[in-house]
Amino acid sequence: MDFRETEDHSALRKAVGDIADQFGSDYYVAHAESRTPTTDLWKRLGELGYLGINLPEEYGGGGAGMTELTIVCEETAAHGNPLLLLLVSAAISGEVITEFGSDAQRSRWLPSLADGSSKVVFAITEPDAGSNSHRISTTAVKDGDGYLISGQKYYISGVDEADAILVVTKTGTDSAGRAKMSLFVVDADAPGLTRQHLPVSVTLPEKQFTLYFDNVRVGNDRLIGTEGDGFKQIFQGLNPERITGAAICVGIGRFALERAAAYANNRTVWGASIGTHQGVSHALAKSKIEIELAALMTMKAAWLHDQGEPAGDASNMAKYAAAEAAIGAIDAAIQVHGGNGLSTEMGLLPYWGLARLLRIAPVSREMILNHVAQHSLGLPRSY
Amino acid sequence: MNIAVCVKQIPDPAAPWSLDPSTHNLVREGKLILDDSDAYGVEMALQLVDKAGAGEVTLVSMAPRNETSGLRTGLAMGAAKAILVTDDQLAGSDALSTAKVLAAAIATTEFDLVIAATESTDGYTGTTPVQIAELLGLPSVSFAKKVEIDGSVVKVDRQTEAGYDEVICPLPALVTVTAGVVEPRYPSFKGIMSAKSKPVVTLSLADLGLVGAAGGAVAGQEIVSVQKAEARQAGVIVEDDGTGAQQLVEYLEQLKFV
Ligand SMILES: Cc1cc2nc3c(=O)[nH]c(=O)nc-3n(C[C@H](O)[C@H](O)[C@H](O)COP(=O)(O)OP(=O)(O)OC[C@H]3O[C@@H](n4cnc5c(N)ncnc54)[C@H](O)[C@@H]3O)c2cc1C
Repeated sequence: MDFRETEDHSALRKAVGDIADQFGSDYYVAHAESRTPTTDLWKRLGELGYLGINLPEEYGGGGAGMTELTIVCEETAAHGNPLLLLLVSAAISGEVITEFGSDAQRSRWLPSLADGSSKVVFAITEPDAGSNSHRISTTAVKDGDGYLISGQKYYISGVDEADAILVVTKTGTDSAGRAKMSLFVVDADAPGLTRQHLPVSVTLPEKQFTLYFDNVRVGNDRLIGTEGDGFKQIFQGLNPERITGAAICVGIGRFALERAAAYANNRTVWGASIGTHQGVSHALAKSKIEIELAALMTMKAAWLHDQGEPAGDASNMAKYAAAEAAIGAIDAAIQVHGGNGLSTEMGLLPYWGLARLLRIAPVSREMILNHVAQHSLGLPRSY
Repeated sequence: MNIAVCVKQIPDPAAPWSLDPSTHNLVREGKLILDDSDAYGVEMALQLVDKAGAGEVTLVSMAPRNETSGLRTGLAMGAAKAILVTDDQLAGSDALSTAKVLAAAIATTEFDLVIAATESTDGYTGTTPVQIAELLGLPSVSFAKKVEIDGSVVKVDRQTEAGYDEVICPLPALVTVTAGVVEPRYPSFKGIMSAKSKPVVTLSLADLGLVGAAGGAVAGQEIVSVQKAEARQAGVIVEDDGTGAQQLVEYLEQLKFV
């Protein structure tokens, strides 16, 4: 067992943190408030090879793994600039295309994901299929030398910033009546695909959309992997999505506690700094412990994934723990700031919104508890 | 065009610093990082070598405990190699000792130009670079805000209180650069990964033939005492009731600024 961080990882943390610092948390907050993408930061990180860090070198990536992508997610967030689309573009789409894409598909999509010049976002959620993805009804039907896709997705993040969308479709039904799934990369501007902005009240730079697929034609070259194997294939991407989601939460937690500790040391109400009051300091100490624990589990999950070991349990637990810890930390930070905690100038609320979102997405707290109860504890399936 | 850049590895300014209560020296126990003010020198050197089309940048540093974290940052930015002088006898060195060590280390490599920062962020002595130049018998130009190589000379815009001097100086030479001379690049991931395979030559005082000539034991300077900076007084708040400008002018007159 060796918990020391390697020099490479320390250098990576510092470089990414410095880049995020150059933009600063004000940059993130202003973009979140105005709902505009943080494109300049994304481009900067892409040019320097940090967005494609987990992608193979032969396709322009960094040749590293989930551990390194986790560091990128954590450090950008810890320096006030969480990047939600890393979850879908770098983690899910990047991993799935690398693992199951043909050589031609990899050559087509990975280099521009790696250098940050394009994004491939991810669409699985439907109005009648969120936690229960077996119920998806967006179908792809074989037609000549391609497929026709019809149906509806919603809450899909970043479609306006993306060149393409990795879409989970139904191409049949198994004997148990569940969807047989297939994955397609669909151009964001494909004829027959329309999108409608779906407003959410958490302040995020990234927008969500409802997507309507009306006989959208895709060639066979857009099918990723094997028809009907989609469900198994997305699992390759779902663990990374949970791990990177956890990493963003750990980063938000660190950011919140740093802000809170600085404020608690400086703000005086009764003659001594408010950090003197245990009612204040214990809340922060508790959050600190929870964030550190979540960070450990997140790193373990990333390590397991990189080793090719089963990472489902650890990824789920990390995502659960980190989202809970982040919500606790940012809430404590807001409380420490008193009324200022809610001010636009202090800019804490956008981080609370993102942490709160990550308790629901990409997989909800309850579904993780279901998984742990059933798979780690051997309790009966509850649904 | 080969350039040696003096780089200091210092305690992270973002972390709390402390002074040793008996020696009054800065405690350098934790991990050290590349001094931000040296990142400008590294960047300047990289750009000059790039323009020249040939040559390489060598980092030269003196640091305790074989510390290379800061050097790795410079190597990740693009420097080709590093020379690190590390020796327990160097603890408590004064500026002249440091200059002797760095000069001897620089002399082990080929160079046309030596670049240093005007002063370090943790020491602020600001004397080491010119001492190095003197020891190496080089002309030195300090406070450069613009540096260009033109054949066998270096052309420097040298910051002064009144504006700047245009200086032309034969090579080899030593130039100290101010913050802002160029915008330091951020290391890329490829840069970080390649940094670890770049050579770092570690030298001791004995390797440099400086035992007894440099180090804490022969320091000619001693920090006798340290006083806390006086807490700042609250400023004067001028409320503008229409006479604000007048009040400001009077205040500045009182301080003899105008
Ligand atoms: C801002 C935002 C961005 C998003 N981005 C994307 C995206 O880019 N791509 C994408 O595909 N999706 C995206 N989503 C969708 C997100 O992944 C889903 O909202 C999430 O998976 C939950 O699904 P649902 O909303 O349908 O909730 P439901 O499945 O309807 O669940 C509702 C509630 O019931 C609970 N519940 C459900 N089943 C059980 C059970 N068996 N036991 C206990 N509790 C249960 C859930 O935990 C939840 O609390 C995004 C959502 C938001 C809000």
